[in-house]
Amino acid sequence: MNSNIFVIIASSAIFYGTPLFFAALGGIFTERSGVLNLGVEGTMLLGGVSGAWASQHVPGSAWFTVLAAIIIGVAAGALTSTLLAFLCVTLRTNQTVAGLAITIFAGGVGLSSYFANIWKVAEDPVDRQVRRLDVLGWADAPVVGPILFNQTILTYLSWVLVVLASVYLFRTRFGLQLRAVGESPQTADAMGINVVKYRYLHTILGGALAGLGGVYYSLAIVPTWVDGMTKGAGWIAIALVIFGFWRPSITLIGAYLFGALQSLSSTLKARNVQVSGDVLDALPFFMTIVVLVLVSTRFAHRRLGAPAALGVPYEREER
Amino acid sequence: MTGIVKRFPGVVANDGVDVDIRAGEVHALLGENGAGKSTLSNILTGLYRPDEGTVEIDGRAMQFSSPRDALDAGIGMVHQHFRLVSTFTVAENVVLGESDSPFMMDQSRVAQQVEELSNRYGLAVDPSARIWQLSVGEQQRVEIVKVLYRGAKVLILDEPTAVLTPIEADALFKTLRAMVAEGRTVIFISHKLDEVMKVSDRVTVLRGGKTVGTVETVNTNTRELASLMVGRSVEFNRVARSIPADVSQTVLSLRGVSARDDRGRDALHDISLTVGRGEIVGVAGVAGNGQRELAEAISGMRALSSGHIDVAGEHVQSGRARSAIAKGIAHIPEDRLHTGLASSHSVEDNLALKNYRSSSLSKFRVLRRKAIRAQATDLVQNYDVKTPDTVTPVRLLSGGNVQKVLLAREFSSLPKVLIAASPTRGLDVGAIETVRARLVDAAERGVGILLISEDLDEIMSLADRIVVMYEGRLVDEVAAESADRERLGLTMGGSTVSGGAR
Amino acid sequence: MKSPVRFERRLEQPKWLNWAIPVVSLIAALVLGAIVLLATGKNPLDVYSRIFERGFAGTRALSGSIKTATPLAFTGLCAAIAFRMGLINIGGEGQFYMGAVGATWAGLVFGGDLPTGAVVIVMALSGMVCGGLYAAIVGVLRAKFNTNEIITSLMMNYLAAIFLNYLIYNSASYWRDPESRNFPAGKPIPDRADWNFYEVGGIKIPLSFLIAILAAAAIWVLYKRTRFGFEVGVIADSPKAARYAGIRTTSTIVIVLALSGALAGLGGAADVGNFRGLLDSKGLQMSGYGYTGIVVAALARLNPISTVVVAVLIGGLTNAGFALQGPDFPSGLVGTLQGLILFTAVAGEVLVKYRIRRNRRAAAVLA
Repeated sequence: MNSNIFVIIASSAIFYGTPLFFAALGGIFTERSGVLNLGVEGTMLLGGVSGAWASQHVPGSAWFTVLAAIIIGVAAGALTSTLLAFLCVTLRTNQTVAGLAITIFAGGVGLSSYFANIWKVAEDPVDRQVRRLDVLGWADAPVVGPILFNQTILTYLSWVLVVLASVYLFRTRFGLQLRAVGESPQTADAMGINVVKYRYLHTILGGALAGLGGVYYSLAIVPTWVDGMTKGAGWIAIALVIFGFWRPSITLIGAYLFGALQSLSSTLKARNVQVSGDVLDALPFFMTIVVLVLVSTRFAHRRLGAPAALGVPYEREER
Repeated sequence: MTGIVKRFPGVVANDGVDVDIRAGEVHALLGENGAGKSTLSNILTGLYRPDEGTVEIDGRAMQFSSPRDALDAGIGMVHQHFRLVSTFTVAENVVLGESDSPFMMDQSRVAQQVEELSNRYGLAVDPSARIWQLSVGEQQRVEIVKVLYRGAKVLILDEPTAVLTPIEADALFKTLRAMVAEGRTVIFISHKLDEVMKVSDRVTVLRGGKTVGTVETVNTNTRELASLMVGRSVEFNRVARSIPADVSQTVLSLRGVSARDDRGRDALHDISLTVGRGEIVGVAGVAGNGQRELAEAISGMRALSSGHIDVAGEHVQSGRARSAIAKGIAHIPEDRLHTGLASSHSVEDNLALKNYRSSSLSKFRVLRRKAIRAQATDLVQNYDVKTPDTVTPVRLLSGGNVQKVLLAREFSSLPKVLIAASPTRGLDVGAIETVRARLVDAAERGVGILLISEDLDEIMSLADRIVVMYEGRLVDEVAAESADRERLGLTMGGSTVSGGAR
Repeated sequence: MKSPVRFERRLEQPKWLNWAIPVVSLIAALVLGAIVLLATGKNPLDVYSRIFERGFAGTRALSGSIKTATPLAFTGLCAAIAFRMGLINIGGEGQFYMGAVGATWAGLVFGGDLPTGAVVIVMALSGMVCGGLYAAIVGVLRAKFNTNEIITSLMMNYLAAIFLNYLIYNSASYWRDPESRNFPAGKPIPDRADWNFYEVGGIKIPLSFLIAILAAAAIWVLYKRTRFGFEVGVIADSPKAARYAGIRTTSTIVIVLALSGALAGLGGAADVGNFRGLLDSKGLQMSGYGYTGIVVAALARLNPISTVVVAVLIGGLTNAGFALQGPDFPSGLVGTLQGLILFTAVAGEVLVKYRIRRNRRAAAVLA
């Protein structure tokens, strides 16, 4: 029963969707503060390569090394986004170009590849990985076993994060202020909220989460480092933020959907099921365009749309 | 507030202002635009710091370095432009920015408090409604609740009825009186005479940055307030016209024109107006009564929701600037640098901004640079524009010269109609003279001019006929020779000529 | 939290900044790159001199660099046109692919029958049409529905890549070489359809590079001399002034984006005609010309002529990167340097618009 195709797909969906979710959640925080981060792909890669390096070089027990690797990957992501925050919030450069610069700088033919080369990360497989766990020994339980009880610790972390993030955004004072900064920085400023602080903090947080997503790739999905291994996951994450209407819960579901689509075509091919993998591949991107057009209309914009001040650098008027 | 002085580059907004407000009263600050009311209130709420003078509350001197300080001292302001996040609910907006609200928001408690406040003062709002769903009047109520929620004892309202219907305005006045009955104090900033008479206990009139007088409302009337507001009849020099207007030939005709503003509300109501050949019609009124929308409607920048506009008998397509330009409508807008000109572009490009399509300046869709330059050189000389050359970006020119560029372009197109909105605002004396002389000159050559200005003196000295705009309607019309300042002041403030409230 | 400096808008933008900033940016990027190299135990002078040598020294190096620069010139122009009007078109990548698709089709269909000159024209035109239409979709979505063109153009890149994969790997399409069953590859266009090269002083200059120069000049003329260019300039300066002057903004947005896409599409056509000779799905996706084009445009400060010059620079850098790849030359250096250049370019742009002033207010508040 557990080799049933649906079970396999569901299990894979969660497994492959988790890093997408991390990066997208980071994107939600950043965009809710009004900053568009197009550097996610590069940030993820830097996080991934840093985590891989740490896993190969930090001494200690396996658990300790893996934990250190995760932390280092997250830190690398946070650092990268600090640069983005500096460019976008303090210097008020064009956010799109700044984000692209980071992706090119850090991306598959950029710094992440450079570091991998220098640190010789790709030469050996990464031993100390984030492996799938067997929670409560129920990994073989019918249906739910492989799907829910056989995932990595990071996946379980992501479930906790969904709840925390949703509560933070919609039920706490800080979440309210964050959303105000993204909707109308002038109003937030007038109400005494520090726009710069919120934008910096949440851009850095977004980078940290992207780094976490990158670590997932290098330590959980593939045991060896490959240049550019995220293969566009960062860009998908950007689409995912929109697809999820800037809400963590919907984003989680979307991540699993996209994850399913990613693994679907190869899974089906292995079963000799002829299906156009290309249509499946294209679906997430096409859907994102549709969603975007829909939320741009006046009707939807107010209820479901992007933070109103997204992508616009904030300049306070002279007193 | 004693001896308040506040200077900005080029203008003294408050020049030794004294205002004395008693607890538990509704005190009105009356004045025209530029009289200094907003500046004064901004000082009181901590947005600006006075250059000189003191602010005392209950006898204690206060120094505000930010709006937070003012709020802590119990002063809250309801601005003309609301500070609300439109996708948030009422409750969320009220509680936003509160520093001592709990980490986890208790929506129901906030909602309860909001309901309590709104019921107490008759400010009905639904705490869970989203701002974009509310009418403007309701949004204003949210702003008031916001201020009350923070425990403000003194409320300042800046032109609150500008966005309200008469019924909503009356509801607001009831609310204000209820608040005052409880011991709070209200400062009511306005230019509307009848409202000031209706709601206030005392009135301080400001003019030109100075306090002109403070009176008990019961002891005064709109006539007296009007004269205080606009000043005793100063001898104005009417510019002599050698060629009088020919009213028999109509160059501009508006019939039943209505239009909406950017927020979708009605800005112009059923305006009918004619301008004769060579006639200067002055549109008087305090800013914000639809003048900008009127100028935009005629020049084709704004579509009409109903009505017709004709130029010399020919119909002008609604909302099509090209049609207006082609029919001979010239427009000198209020906002010179961002609407009338592309400020980073050169003088010569701006001079060609409207006629670059004509065959003299472009051939086969290619611009004839030499011709553009020649036109610019010519115009710069004729209109005495002081600029290093014709390729200098216009934003580097002084205010007077920027205006001259506009004049040069608009006049040289030999229009039939010219709309001039606040043409001499911010200019020095010499430039003002030049502009006015040019306007008269154009009129004498047969151009019909619609002069929209907040400066009553200017209108009275230049216009042949004067109309008054108030809340999007034309409420008065007089011939210039028989125009009476006091009467105009009254109608500008919304009163009818007989002097009572409407 | 008052910062010690504040940014004040400049009133005048001195002309000399226009070329000084890109030069300084480039130098700053090289310095930053040197720091990275030093920090990881490499000798920057050594690395840089090898890059210079392989990229620019000698006719062979220059030929290779100009070849690499050609597609970048087109995608750079694509980005520059759109950015100048404030439209952030990052879909140059996808528009390039579509141009390649269209041109390959034209080359395959007409390549055997028509003389070379005519085929070149037909291929170029189909490339432009395909790229232009692809971009026009983004334009219509933006003009009519106010949909953010950044995300839509990005998504379209992915759709285009998937389409390429479909044509070459996952179908027996017209573009696929029927003889390449094991390792799918594109069908080569007939020899007659290959575009020419010209030798100038030992350097081989592809026809498409000359076309790029022509295109840059044409765009320069368009923006400086025509009515359309004038209107675009006014819209970019002040949409309100454009409304005042009766300029139609909506259609202009679509036209500018279509032009932008047409240029990228022309680049795709050139790539097929002059270099690859077939639809190379994998190769195109790995090259990332569209994204690199944005770097080129940014450093060239959106000026069309500078774009071609900067393309040669970046082309040389990229070319050297390929040639030097090996155990002792760090991979990823090219992308790192490109990224650094883009950083310094945007930071430099800020300096053009603002000046840095010490914040004296802080002192006054405390007084």
